[in-house]
Amino acid sequence: MVVVAAEPAIKSSQAPISGTALAFEGIGKRYGTKTVLEDVVLPVAEGSLTVLYGPPASGKSVLMRILMGLEEPTSGRVTLRGQDVTHRTAGDRNIGYIPQSFALYPHFSVHDNIAYPLKLAHVPDREIAPIVQHAAEMLHIPDLLAKRPDQLSGGQKQRVAIARGLAKQSDIYVFDDPLAGLDFKLREQLVEDLRDLQREWRAAFLYTTSDAIEALTLADHLAVLAGGSIIEAGPPERLYADPQQRRTMALVGFPPANFLAGRLIHRNYALWCETALFSFKTTITPTDPAAAAPAVVVGLRPESLAIGDAATALPTGNSDPLIRFDARIVLREDLGGEEIIYLQSAGVGLIALDRRHGQEGLDTLVPVAVSARALFVFAEPSGRQIGRGATAPPTSHPLNGRGNE
Amino acid sequence: MAQIRVERLRKTFGALVALDDVSFSFADSQVTCLLGPSGCGKTTLMRIIAGLEQPTAGEVYFGDRRVTHLPPRKREIGMVFQYPVVYKGIDVYRNIELPLLSEKIDARERRRRVDEVIELLGLGPSAKLDVSRLDNGTRQKVAVAREVARQPQIILFDEPITNVDAAAKLQLKRAFKELTRRLSQTIVYVTHDQTEAMTLADQIALMRDGQIVQCDAPRTLYNQPVDRFGGWFLGNPGMLFVDVDLRATDAGPVVASPIFAHLVPISGLASATPPRVTVGIRPEHVRVAATPSPTAVPASVVRTSIQIGGQYLITLRIDGLQDQSIKAKVEPAAGAALVPGEPVWVEFPLDRISLFDPAGHRLDATFAALSSPTDQPTALGAHR
Repeated sequence: MVVVAAEPAIKSSQAPISGTALAFEGIGKRYGTKTVLEDVVLPVAEGSLTVLYGPPASGKSVLMRILMGLEEPTSGRVTLRGQDVTHRTAGDRNIGYIPQSFALYPHFSVHDNIAYPLKLAHVPDREIAPIVQHAAEMLHIPDLLAKRPDQLSGGQKQRVAIARGLAKQSDIYVFDDPLAGLDFKLREQLVEDLRDLQREWRAAFLYTTSDAIEALTLADHLAVLAGGSIIEAGPPERLYADPQQRRTMALVGFPPANFLAGRLIHRNYALWCETALFSFKTTITPTDPAAAAPAVVVGLRPESLAIGDAATALPTGNSDPLIRFDARIVLREDLGGEEIIYLQSAGVGLIALDRRHGQEGLDTLVPVAVSARALFVFAEPSGRQIGRGATAPPTSHPLNGRGNE
Repeated sequence: MAQIRVERLRKTFGALVALDDVSFSFADSQVTCLLGPSGCGKTTLMRIIAGLEQPTAGEVYFGDRRVTHLPPRKREIGMVFQYPVVYKGIDVYRNIELPLLSEKIDARERRRRVDEVIELLGLGPSAKLDVSRLDNGTRQKVAVAREVARQPQIILFDEPITNVDAAAKLQLKRAFKELTRRLSQTIVYVTHDQTEAMTLADQIALMRDGQIVQCDAPRTLYNQPVDRFGGWFLGNPGMLFVDVDLRATDAGPVVASPIFAHLVPISGLASATPPRVTVGIRPEHVRVAATPSPTAVPASVVRTSIQIGGQYLITLRIDGLQDQSIKAKVEPAAGAALVPGEPVWVEFPLDRISLFDPAGHRLDATFAALSSPTDQPTALGAHR
């Protein structure tokens, strides 16, 4: 509906769209004894861009194929606008689909490649041309319509494949990791265009990716799939700033978060956490059932580590206690606007993100500082977040401030 | 003398021009990265230097020696490819030693060289293992070690870490830094990955459409691109560009644009400068504030998203700037405080701006900020 006639009306309508466009309700999938998906629950809101994010082989594509009707779930149901479509054929579902591996018909023009699914759907010829033109304009490829696929670059082919999926007249579109394998610069532009497109159409987009930054850039709503289940879902900012699961913190963000093994210990009527690098007071109260098992994992984001003069400049105050230690620089990776600094301290490898473009060379020992409030404590082995670093001065641990190795 | 020099190098494949009259000198004992998007000609240039490809026209020199038509094995160079070349069925030590045996290096020297590179690349624990038992990353280390041990004057690397996992990438980058710090070979390193080039290169030769657009130290290339392409290609996201009008006044030309709170006087432009030029600025240099200031212009937040290291990418609409949004990359705390739909104030710091002509070439010009307290002119893009 969106592409041609109704499009101006949709564009001008700024009324919020509510309701659920599609939903996975307890989807399970087994191949023989191997469980690929388990109890996947995921609603996709009307007019929103939902990203299903997970590492490679976490089950994303299987879930998309179940949605498209290309595969049957072992358990659970798929609903479109509240209607159970689990056992309906693919052709009955009316979802625009952009698969990960696309194939263009080499002997067709770009125009005919985009038009082909419309012809299959018996859209009258006179209606096809404007739809194709509009989809091509959306993807900035109208001047390619007369060309053949072998005259296109990889990025242009991908745009044609996306245009073909978008030409389908629907208001639900599914993108199965469509930018995987493309050059970084092409992806940057396509992500931006898809984001604009979704805002303009206000259709429901369900988008899968295994790229953390792509997921964070696109998502209104972010669902993290790991080990066949959705481990956490919510607004991307919330998942990033306050992950409830260790794996969420590990997966959502780049460079990846740092994790240290830790132990909870009782000290002065409070629960402290001790790691190989430092100890800190936690927000966990000694009576908290979460404190029952002493083994924990401590997570901290690369940008929480201040290094070099940035660390020295931070004042140590009682309201926001700083943990300080020294670390050796293993490698500095220059991304242009920022650097990823790989550090080593007391046998522990850490990744820091630095916007200073400092001058410290490799193997230099640099001061490092991190606020206790930036530390997350996860229970082992459940991986559930049970607390943070508390706002009280840290103790001086035997290793604090001392060199490494 | 191992300097590599190419002169008027041209390579065509049918109608496709892969290299378009490239003349260039690779600095002696330095790491030069050939960087560019796929199809820019970087691999072709390296293959011609290696002798794996014959140029359509032009010459290749190593020092004073013309090598254009020498076969690869007579060029006395080392090569590391995207997929590691290793000899299966023999252990790591023998893999590295093998070329030294065929070059009839004596036993003591062989041992010294092999031990040195094994240490340098951290291959000690796997020295006695058959290479078939190694992962791709370790095999690539073996391939690097073997070429380094031969001690050729020139080593060519063709995307050597593209096909290894993240942990091995880190180890190989570290080993490469270690290697280039201790050795003094002339290295040509081909990559499409800007971070890899910025991290490993002494200088980057940026390529596009069969030509070298610019060759400079990484930070210089990043901060002072001579061409819009360099500004766009490097960075994450790349430089953003806004066309602005130049207006002639009695006091000289001024820039008039909704992105500036004032008319900005500009000097140093050639008299033939067109009336419209392009302002280029990196998103991390655009300042976004919740409160007004005399040098900032009003804007509204369209959307925000989390990027690398928790920074926020802010998409903004500037009042009066039609059909174009502006992107700013800000620190985590600043970004988290911005809400879509809210008014903000945006500043393009004059000393962070590059100016380009309509063809995309950098213009040498100087801004004089009207509100500058010292009244000193500000050099464009002075930051290195």
